[in-house]
Amino acid sequence: MDGGRTAPLPPGVNVAPEMGDIMPPVKAKKGFIGFLRRNPTIAIGGFLVLLMVFVAVFAPYLAHRDPTALAPALRTREPSAQFWFGTDMLGRDVYSRVLHGARVSLTVGFSVAFCASVIGLAIGLVSGFIRLADSIIMRFMDGMMSIPPILLAIALMALTRGSVGNVVLAITIAEIPRVSRLVRGVVLSLREQPYVDAAVASGTRTPMIILRHILPNTLAPLTVQATYICASAMITEAILSFIGAGTPPIIPSWGNIMAEGRALWQVKPYIVFFPAVFLSITVLAVNLLGDGLRDALDPRMAKRL
Amino acid sequence: MFAYIVRRILATIPVMAIVALFVFSLLYIAPGDPAAVIAGDQATPADVERIRASLGLDRPYLVRFGAWLWDILRGDLGTSIFTNLPVATMIQQRIEPTLSLMIVTLILAVSIAVPMGVVAAWRQGTWVDRAVMGFAVLGFSVPVFVVGYVLAYVFALELDWLPVQGYTPFSRGFGPWIENLILPAVALGSVYIALIARITRATMLEVLQQDYIRTAKAKGVGQRSILFMHALKNAAVPIVTVIGIGIALLIGGAVVTESVFAIPGLGRLTVDAILRRDYPVIQGVVLLFSFIYVLVNLAIDLAYTLFDPRIRY
Repeated sequence: MDGGRTAPLPPGVNVAPEMGDIMPPVKAKKGFIGFLRRNPTIAIGGFLVLLMVFVAVFAPYLAHRDPTALAPALRTREPSAQFWFGTDMLGRDVYSRVLHGARVSLTVGFSVAFCASVIGLAIGLVSGFIRLADSIIMRFMDGMMSIPPILLAIALMALTRGSVGNVVLAITIAEIPRVSRLVRGVVLSLREQPYVDAAVASGTRTPMIILRHILPNTLAPLTVQATYICASAMITEAILSFIGAGTPPIIPSWGNIMAEGRALWQVKPYIVFFPAVFLSITVLAVNLLGDGLRDALDPRMAKRL
Repeated sequence: MFAYIVRRILATIPVMAIVALFVFSLLYIAPGDPAAVIAGDQATPADVERIRASLGLDRPYLVRFGAWLWDILRGDLGTSIFTNLPVATMIQQRIEPTLSLMIVTLILAVSIAVPMGVVAAWRQGTWVDRAVMGFAVLGFSVPVFVVGYVLAYVFALELDWLPVQGYTPFSRGFGPWIENLILPAVALGSVYIALIARITRATMLEVLQQDYIRTAKAKGVGQRSILFMHALKNAAVPIVTVIGIGIALLIGGAVVTESVFAIPGLGRLTVDAILRRDYPVIQGVVLLFSFIYVLVNLAIDLAYTLFDPRIRY
């Protein structure tokens, strides 16, 4: 019981019984596990994204057949034990194709998120720090933002040969204006901060101010934005492939599989169904990750949205 | 006030000029030789040269841009490489279904999303709020064409309530017209509803904390009147702004929705043009949609005074 007391109390002396804490102390788990517990959306989103990365990386081992192997005798088979997701009109195994499709989607999503963030960051920093450049760059970005991103990507794809690289390039160009606007806004508000004034007053050079004081503070909102860009890039890639302006048809991407299943969708809906489910889950996972990061990185916003 | 309107209208001119410059310059920015890409793999060098000339790529950039801009200003969007028809005529023939789809979607989305956002803000933290926010995340994540196929499968194929695909012109009556547009409009509207519901909720949450809301409650104003008269009116400006910006989503989504539901509009025109590499048509459609986008947002900017009399320029 009371292990701390060794000597017996003299008779007649009353000691108030030890009271437990009214509320047990909040056990805030530290470290990575605790962080995930406090942010379930990051945990769920992150888990699903990692799962898709796993599927994409190990697609050749998980797949049952060559995703491009034709088997006319086995065409349009319903889903079964042999063909988990059925076969398409050329007899290709939809399950194997869908797994390989994860590669295209994730490559495009991650590449666009990375490229658009880096280029947008550079443009936003320049624009936020150099007044003269700002008005010109932002006018130009206003113009670019007036072109609906999907149409801009379509127009670019119509002029180039279909390849995954060109799809990444087209979507990146369409996404840059939004990133630069965000970074510029953050830079402009950071420039008014007292600690930046202090750094200027103590004679820090501009490149150093950008590197030490501005850049680190743009990273949090930029990371959140990058996840949303990743999600929208995956949707755009699927849309481009679906309407025939994206990844070349020989590469199994989710948009391409759906485009091929389109003619048969009323009788064989599963060809469209499976890639659609994979695409939706992946985009949902990335969006959840983004929402979770936003809440974790900016608690004030979290209460509102 | 008048000076502001004039200034705001004048400010759209440079934006439109940059849109035009950018859309025009895509031909030069694109990696590789656009003329060869458009001509296709089986083209002879003579074909490539012919297309290069018809795109004007053989003339200096600025000369070509000047001539092209002058044509645009006179309403001449160029000539289709494939059909040899003027692009403006082709757009005119296809614009009705697209505009119908977008207007129906807009009305539908706003009339669903705004009440959703208001109720979610009013019942913050309850299951209603969570359901609305959950729907919003789904709306952002499930692509338009996936929603389209699911809706068509359930409501057209299985339940047989609505036509699977196609379009009936408005001149054939309101009933058949709207019947064909409901499913595409819901599919196209899903992202848009998510966006508007989210911003409505966020703005309403902020407004509901204001002193005048407490005053209204204290003097016994009814709940509905507080929400829709006092609060929503004051939350209108950001909501309307997002409705305007979100039109870009509608435009992009319309291209896909039209292919899912076989609607013969501008989206189909674009998709056909992609398959034939008919660049002037794509250029014309992109330019037209961008101008519509700029003009709608201009109109919204000018309409702010209607929603919020406190705004004086």
